[in-house]
Amino acid sequence: MAEISQDGGGKKGGKKRSKKASTKIDMTPMVDLGFLLITFFMLTTTLAKPVVMQLNMPDKTEKDEKSEVKMSETLTVIPDSTKVYYYQGLPNDATTQLLKTDYSNKGIRTILFDMKKRIGDNFTIVIKAAKGAKYKNMVDLLDECAITGNKRYAILGIDPSSEELVKKSGL
Amino acid sequence: MSKVKAKRQSVSLDMTAMCDVAFLLLTFFMLTAKFKPEEAVTITPPSSISEKKLPAGEGYLTISVGPTGGIFLGTEDKIAKDAMLERMANRMGITVTPQMQKNYNASELVGYPAGAMRQVLGMNPSEVKAQGLLKGIPLDTANNELFLWVSYAKIANPALKVAIKGDANSNYRVFNSIVSTLQDQNINVFQLITSPEGKPK
Repeated sequence: MAEISQDGGGKKGGKKRSKKASTKIDMTPMVDLGFLLITFFMLTTTLAKPVVMQLNMPDKTEKDEKSEVKMSETLTVIPDSTKVYYYQGLPNDATTQLLKTDYSNKGIRTILFDMKKRIGDNFTIVIKAAKGAKYKNMVDLLDECAITGNKRYAILGIDPSSEELVKKSGL
Repeated sequence: MSKVKAKRQSVSLDMTAMCDVAFLLLTFFMLTAKFKPEEAVTITPPSSISEKKLPAGEGYLTISVGPTGGIFLGTEDKIAKDAMLERMANRMGITVTPQMQKNYNASELVGYPAGAMRQVLGMNPSEVKAQGLLKGIPLDTANNELFLWVSYAKIANPALKVAIKGDANSNYRVFNSIVSTLQDQNINVFQLITSPEGKPK
């Protein structure tokens, strides 16, 4: 293919010379094969290696190691499958106001940013996933904590009073 | 004056250099490629902005959570993997035949109730998958087999770290019970496997 014979048929009446074998090999099929294999390996290689996020949970055996957190410096976040509820203070307090937001850039992220700015380094996020929450919601929320630069967060199970608060608010 | 003839250009191309490049690249990709292991279940992890890569070469115990909440356990640590089989078979009173050992080694993940162990290990991994026997490791208060598997692996290699690969759509409660099971074993650090995502500005 790439070798197109240039020397024509040669002169008919010429002297017969000993035929010199060409040293050129047609490389085209070899190149074809080479690139085919490259394509195959490139497509089967997983390029994006998964990343990890480290989650540290408290040690259950160490009962006396507790860090004091002020109620005014915490925000309780309740992730649900499509929305996020949040409140400040105690769930069974009559004055506690439950609010709703979403997972978008303008949602929980701005709230966490604002709270962090207002409260400072002691700002603690308490995450209590609702019953309908997906694993993704939890990871999203942990991710939001990382984005907003909050290192203080705690993952707790949802308590009945928080559930009651969500139900009562009707959001 | 004779007419100037248009010089006929040779269409012959020297393919040698191109061939060299092609095979160099081929060799590179072949040596760096690692085949994606056949997954018992397809898991799509959620995305996060984390940039930390899962360090290769370190011993990991990977707990996978399928979209429907099935729990699967896998490790690349050969010693821990063998120890897991040995101890679990002992507990269930199963004598491991060479064929069972072979099937066990061929499967990436453990994901069946211990009661079904004899049946599952009697078949090769693709048959097991086809028959839908990979139901997940039971994890409830009455029958917490995940606890056993993890503790067997940890006995064999205490340096094993725990990675959790959950499907984005799996229920959070499954994750929560895995975490509390492991906390009971004094494992408090988890690596959550996620897919990469661009960092917002």
